[in-house]
Amino acid sequence: MTQVLSNFIKALRACDVRVSTAESIDAAAALELVGFERRTLIKEALGQVLAKTPDDKARFNDCFERFFTFEAMGSDAEGASGDDAGQANPAPGEEAGQGGSGGGGAGGLAAMLERGDGPALQQALASAARNVQLQNIRLFTQRGMYIRRILEDMGIEPLDDLLYALLKANDDDARALKLKEQKARLIENVAELVDRQMLMYTANAWPKLREEVLEKTPLARIEMRDFKVMQELVRKLAKRLVSLHSRRRHVAKRGRLDVRHTIRKNIEYDGLLFDTVWKRVRIDRPKVIAVCDVSGSVAQVARFLLLFLYSVAEVLPKVRAFAFSSHLGEVTSLFEQKPVEEAVVEAVNTYGMGSTDYGGALAELERLTLADIDQRTTVIILGDARSNYGDAGERSLRRIHERARRVLWLNPEPAAFWNSGDSEMQKLGAACDKVESCRTLKHLERVVSEIARTAV
Amino acid sequence: MTTAKQHAATSAIADIQRGFLGSGYIASDAIATCVYIAQALSKPILVEGPPGVGKTELATATAKLLDKPLIRLQCYEGLDESKALYEWKYGKQLLYTQVLKEKLGDLMQGAQGLKESITRLHEFDDTFFNEEFLEPRPLLKALWAPHGAVLLIDEIDKSDQEFEAFLLELLQDYQISIPEIGTVKAKHPPIVFLTSNNTREIGDALKRRCLHLYIPFPDAKLEQRIIESRVPALEAGLRAQLVAFVQSLRGLDLKKVPAVSETIDWARTLLLLHAAELEPALVRQTLNVLLKFQDDIEHVDAEVPALARQAAKSA
Repeated sequence: MTQVLSNFIKALRACDVRVSTAESIDAAAALELVGFERRTLIKEALGQVLAKTPDDKARFNDCFERFFTFEAMGSDAEGASGDDAGQANPAPGEEAGQGGSGGGGAGGLAAMLERGDGPALQQALASAARNVQLQNIRLFTQRGMYIRRILEDMGIEPLDDLLYALLKANDDDARALKLKEQKARLIENVAELVDRQMLMYTANAWPKLREEVLEKTPLARIEMRDFKVMQELVRKLAKRLVSLHSRRRHVAKRGRLDVRHTIRKNIEYDGLLFDTVWKRVRIDRPKVIAVCDVSGSVAQVARFLLLFLYSVAEVLPKVRAFAFSSHLGEVTSLFEQKPVEEAVVEAVNTYGMGSTDYGGALAELERLTLADIDQRTTVIILGDARSNYGDAGERSLRRIHERARRVLWLNPEPAAFWNSGDSEMQKLGAACDKVESCRTLKHLERVVSEIARTAV
Repeated sequence: MTTAKQHAATSAIADIQRGFLGSGYIASDAIATCVYIAQALSKPILVEGPPGVGKTELATATAKLLDKPLIRLQCYEGLDESKALYEWKYGKQLLYTQVLKEKLGDLMQGAQGLKESITRLHEFDDTFFNEEFLEPRPLLKALWAPHGAVLLIDEIDKSDQEFEAFLLELLQDYQISIPEIGTVKAKHPPIVFLTSNNTREIGDALKRRCLHLYIPFPDAKLEQRIIESRVPALEAGLRAQLVAFVQSLRGLDLKKVPAVSETIDWARTLLLLHAAELEPALVRQTLNVLLKFQDDIEHVDAEVPALARQAAKSA
């Protein structure tokens, strides 16, 4: 049974449920405890031990249903015991697989088919699947190979020999024809099993690959249809960053008796400790003000930057978000109230129509936020710094810079394009602590991680 | 695997369910299974779910079922060891040193030189740092409980990550290290419930050590049973209508959807007002029991007649 459990855990991991070794041990203990009498009981028990978030729970349920379907053919108890028997007695399959010409396997398989012995066939199939290690299947190109191997393991070659001999003797031998038909059905069954397993173990392989590629693709070149996947990726990224760095934000918050200072302070009272000193560390609450250019020139990227802003606003307590092109407006409350797709679209629609006016936008930003900016505030500006040859607004930015802890500029253009044409990166960059090119999700992660480490 | 053992498990779970029923808590299969496994493997349970589905209530019911004291620790931002585990009774220590000052003089009498005085002092040095001067807080109380206890660590998501890390030792081995005294180990491992409303992600390390129980909003049937056990005087027809109404409210886009505890409150309210069925006017007047935001109330207000009619039909 441990074999089945460990295969199941493998399948779970393939479905993106994180299962640690300690949890596997717990699962075995829980299984021992509840027994195999009731399927629902097993499901509940394993679910509580192995899946620890609502998302994981959904994936677990899905995986459980798929993994244990073949056992649903008989009653649950039978399914489980069948498995044990299969393990204890893998003889027919193995013999045939090794022997090849030995008639035993063929006789076994042919006899089973002719008898129509469903349970025995199911057992042989399960044990063959185990023998060829079907759980290692990873790619759909391996499908044919695994089907063939399982069939061989079950003894299809001797069966073919037998069929050949029978048909040679008599062209339409009734037994042979029937056997042929049953063989076809068997192959179908095997193919179905392999498909199911493949789905289970590889369901996640493609999305994972796709995510990896998307992370490295320049944001401007990502297609609309990948927006959903990106959204999930960005959310994961924001969550990871915040959980990675939030530890630093919390320092001890309550006062504790500072013995050293208490003694020192009370020396003058003849060592009578009545004036106590308490240690207190101020809570470090980071403030982030993020401004996003949503004009036409950066429209593609803006969607993702807004998406990222949205995710950050979800996980960090104090984020004020602004969007601008020709004029600037606060989108914080929009982000709080609306779900992400609507919020991003609405922000782009409301502020994204005009042509970029950095001078006006930064002056407006100064007017709206300067009172709120202090030593703990990080200002992040996302934009290409292309001001249509108008006022770049560097004076406003400089005043903001003087008050803020850090001002960061993330530019979606590669550094080589800066300062060409109407790009004012030089002027504006002078009023920033750091200017970074931020073109892919990987860049974004690196930059934000750095912000979080040093400023938040 | 013997069948006897399996029967034991099934019947033990049924027993737990029955026991909960006795104290008015309707437990689903998942909940009963979880409590059973937690007891048998002595593992803590992390209970998650929307607010008001009876997470805290589960701990109370378990304490009642097992006849063990319930020790509760409410988490909040800034909660630390001295609030959760133990604190020295500074006041008492200071008072005693002052009172015993004279006595100390006596003890020191006849001591030759500084060295001997200190040696003598060393003989008493643990006097002020023993359990006499220790103020146990909930976690220590749970470990010290002579016949075991049910420990409820409520809203763990409100605490800081440091505190979460600090809990790991307790949850894994049911022991805690106090620098001045040593390791305190529980004689009877307490049954630990941690509840979370998911305002932040709980760390993997903590999750790994717990069973994870997710309690969703109950379906109509279960909710009716809950109302039946909590407000038995309510007439069955109205009960079905009321539950159907609340269930349909949960489908709407609200800031805060009504939880089970609010359904119970509403049932009590309707009982108090001698309602016979859900009339739109009555629903409107009592809507503030169910909904806690003015926006939500205004949003639902217009749809009350339709919802009430629908509830009456489905019930």
